[in-house]
Formats: sequence, C-alpha cells, structure tokens
Amino acid sequence: MIEIHGLSKTFTDRRGDTVTALDDARLDVAENEFLTLLGPSGCGKTTLLKCIAGLVPYDSGTIEIDGRPIQGPGPDRAMVFQNFALLPWASVVDNVAFGLRLRGVARAEREERARELVATMGLAGFEKKLPGELSGGMQQRVGIARALAVQPQVLLMDEPFGAVDEQTRRLLQEELLALWEEQRPTVVFVTHSMEEAVLLGDRVALMSARPGRVAELVPVDLPRPRARGGGPDRSGVYAELTAYLWDRLREMHEEHRTVRTGAPA
Amino acid sequence: MSALRRLPAAPLSLAAGAMVWEVIGRAAGVSFFPPLSTVLDRLGEMAADGALLASVRDSLLNLLLGTAISLVAGIVIGVAMGRSRRVEAALGVYVYALLTAPSLVFAPVFFSLFGAGRGAVVAVIVMYAVFVVIVNTAAAVQAVPAHLEEMARSYGAGERQLLPRVVLPAATPMIMAGVRLGVGRAVTGMLNGEMFIAVVGLGHIVTEAGGSFDSASVLAVLLIVIAVALVAIALVQAADRRLTRWVPQTAKGAQGK
Ligand SMILES: Nc1ncnc2c1ncn2[C@@H]1O[C@H](COP(=O)(O)OP(=O)(O)O)[C@@H](O)[C@H]1O
Ligand SMILES: [Mg+2]
Repeated sequence: MIEIHGLSKTFTDRRGDTVTALDDARLDVAENEFLTLLGPSGCGKTTLLKCIAGLVPYDSGTIEIDGRPIQGPGPDRAMVFQNFALLPWASVVDNVAFGLRLRGVARAEREERARELVATMGLAGFEKKLPGELSGGMQQRVGIARALAVQPQVLLMDEPFGAVDEQTRRLLQEELLALWEEQRPTVVFVTHSMEEAVLLGDRVALMSARPGRVAELVPVDLPRPRARGGGPDRSGVYAELTAYLWDRLREMHEEHRTVRTGAPA
Repeated sequence: MSALRRLPAAPLSLAAGAMVWEVIGRAAGVSFFPPLSTVLDRLGEMAADGALLASVRDSLLNLLLGTAISLVAGIVIGVAMGRSRRVEAALGVYVYALLTAPSLVFAPVFFSLFGAGRGAVVAVIVMYAVFVVIVNTAAAVQAVPAHLEEMARSYGAGERQLLPRVVLPAATPMIMAGVRLGVGRAVTGMLNGEMFIAVVGLGHIVTEAGGSFDSASVLAVLLIVIAVALVAIALVQAADRRLTRWVPQTAKGAQGK
C-alpha cells in the first residue's frame, strides 16, 4: 500500500554542514498492516515518517500510496506527534476537530465527530478543558483523536508515547491496539523501544544510521488480539524477538562508534 | 492593618503619592511646585470655562486615531516581517533605526507636510508608537513553535489558514506585550506632538501655561494625561486578559509580565 523506493534526504544546517538522514531507503507497508519502525536515535526515523506525511521534501526516490506518488500532505494520511502538538488556546473538542476544520468540514458536523472521538478516547467530561489542564497521557489521547477524526487510511505515529510515563504508556498501547484491531488503519509507528516495537507491530522495520535506511524487516509472530489480557506473555517469542532486536541495535551502536572515532574495526 | 492589606496596591500607591505631593508642595511653598490641592482647584477652574473640555476631546481623538493606525500598521508590518525573511531584510534596518531614534525630531517634517493640525499630531503619535508594536509582533510571529505549524500543514493548512488558525493565536501574548508598550508611547507622543505643534489639544494648554510660568495649569494637564494613560493601559490589559486567558499563569510570570 505504501511503497518507498530509493528515498534519500540530506539536510544542510545553518553552518552549511550536511547530514544525510536517508540514503536510498526502501520500505513497503501492506494495507492494514501495523508496522513499527525501530532504530538508534538520529538514524532518520522521524525524517522517513515526515517524508511519508508529505511534510519534508526529499532529494530523490519515490513514495507511492496505492500506486499514486504523494504530493505533499494529503487527506489519506494523519500524523501523531511525540510532543502532542496541541493548540494550547483551543479546547479538547476544538483540538480534536482542528484537522476537520482545516479541511472545511462544517462546524456542527466536525463537533459531533470530535465529541464522539473524545468519548472513544476516554476523555468524556474533558471536552471544554485546555491542553495545559490535562496530563501528558490525556494530551496524547487528544492527539490521537485529532488524527482519527479525519479518518485517514494511514496513521503515522512518531514516538507517540515517548513523552509519557511507563504506566500511562502501557495503557495507551493497549488502547491503541484495541482501536487498531477495530478499525484496521495502516499504521507506521516510530519507536525507540524494542518492547514497544514487538508488542504493537506485525513487522518491525529495523533502521540503521549512516546509511539511514531500513536494514532488516523482522516479522512478529505473536497472536492477535494483543490488547487487554490477550497481550503476549512477555516470554517465549516476545522475549526472543526483543533480545534479537537489542543485539542488532547494539551492533549498530558499536559500528557507529568505530566509524566516529576512526578506530580500526 | 488587615483592612489596608486587602486594598488593591495601585489605588493605595496613588493615594500615597498624592499625600506626598500635598505635603511637599505645602512645605516648599514655591510657585513652581504647588501642592495637589491647588492643582485640583486649578483643574476645576479650567474645566468650568469649557476650553479644557474641548482640548481633552481633541487630544483623545488624536490619541485614538494615532493608536489605531499604529496598532493596525504595526501588527500588519510585524506579521509580514515575522513570516518573510525578505520583508524582514528589507524593512528591519529602518524599523530598528526608527525605534531608537528620538521620535519628536520628525515633528517639523510632519508640521510642514500636514500643516499645524490633527494630521501632524497623529503622525507624531504613530512615530512614537508603531515601531515597538512592529518589533514585538515580528518577534512574536518568529517565536511561534515550528511543531504547531508543521502539525497544521500535515492536515493540509496553507499560509492563508496558518495565519489565522495558528500563527496569530500563538503570537497573541507577545503581540499584546508590544501593544501595551505602544499604547503607553502613544500617550507620550500625543502630548509631545501637541506641545510642539501647539495649536490644539492638551499639549497646547501646557505650552501656553508653561510660557507664563503657570505651574498649576501645567500640572493639572499632567493629571489629565496620567488619567488618560491609566485608562488606556487598563483597556489594553482587559483586552489582553480576554485574548490570552489560555496562557498558564507560570508562563505569564516567566514572560516578565
Ligand atoms: N531540519 C533538519 N535540519 C538539519 N538536520 C536535521 C533536520 N532534521 C533532522 N536532521 C538530522 O537528520 C538525522 C536524522 O534525524 P531524525 O529523522 O530526526 O532521526 P530520528 O527520528 O531517528 O532520531 C539526524 O542526524 C538529525 O540531526
Ligand atoms: Mg525522531
């Protein structure tokens, strides 16, 4: 469904230094797949996701969704941000309705849909609150509701639970799984946590830094539904996979250190 | 004591200032610094003969026009500078030069351009007020968090939607800080402009009274100007509170409010 070929992106910072974030990256994501994207920090996960979102122009390569090359942001995709990116002056309902508003949905309709999603995300009673009055976990529920409100085919999530505490993260993971199992959007979910990548994903795309590309695709053979109680027993396959991913990541970190210090391999 | 403490600070400090003025004025007994009571008497006399009222009306109209032009032009130019590197590069040098230049030096120019009337005074007021609004607005727009813009763009927002839906609301607290400064400077500009051009408004009275060493009249006008400034600032603060209710109190403190 999402097909990425030969994607390269080099940033030039203010001093004129260049950083190659993506180098000939390729990735295919199947329809209704939950793909998690795991890699060392700075390897280009956010860049790849923003390229798919149409927010970052890339230097070369192609990104196609259902065979059509993307041209900037589109109504078929919605993004969830690590820092929530909520409008601090707008109420919960207005934040959830924001994407619909930008897309020209009439007030009555967008508010109705926003209220439904607010309830779905367990935020009933908080409709009029401002983001600053909510906990981090609740703020991200608003961020997810805002993305779901525009009914995207593809949900792009950039470390959405990276800024919330461990217990809230567990809850949010289970809620997201339940939502996904019900609605089955295609999800690309960036994380730096091996456990999260395995718990959520159908496959884990393991990214390497320098070159910034998908180094390996690891299928996750865990039964679904994994939400609430049906979750993996955190032993067996689950433990093996997270251990394997950590081995690979540690290799990458070590290679990276050798490259940087110039020491012989 | 507890009753005193419950009084708001501003009226209390005004009352104390008035008391000090009265005491020093009486003790000094010099004609150039009359006590508050003498000044208030003078104010009553001036009000009675009607000329003062006309002057106040003139001045307020000047102030209103000058402030309105300054705020509209200041915010429009400031937003353009904040959003576009090229506009900022083109206008920035003038704006910063004029922000620091003594605004009254332009009064003779306006005097010859617009004649000795309302136009010249309003132009002086704009010279006083507009640049601080521009500079604050440009800084406010540049400080809008990039991630909010990115989020809006991810939902398809173009520049025409970004401005009203994201940039302006996010910039409002800092813009209002500039508006507060601008309105204060507009009051100063009004008095200075009128004193220089000296045919209309309160500044005219000050110049005349000053010429005949009538300190009581000068100070009476000063009282009116202070009252006008306080009312103007109170209006701005009321607007600010309405517009920026969403800013957390701690962040407001950090802004140096
Ligand atoms: N706007 C930018 N300007 C310059 N360099 C950038 C920019 N965005 C990302 N980079 C660089 O690109 C690399 C990949 O960044 P990113 O995609 O954010 O990594 P990740 O999300 O995997 O941590 C990093 O080295 C980062 O410093
Ligand atoms: Mg990132």
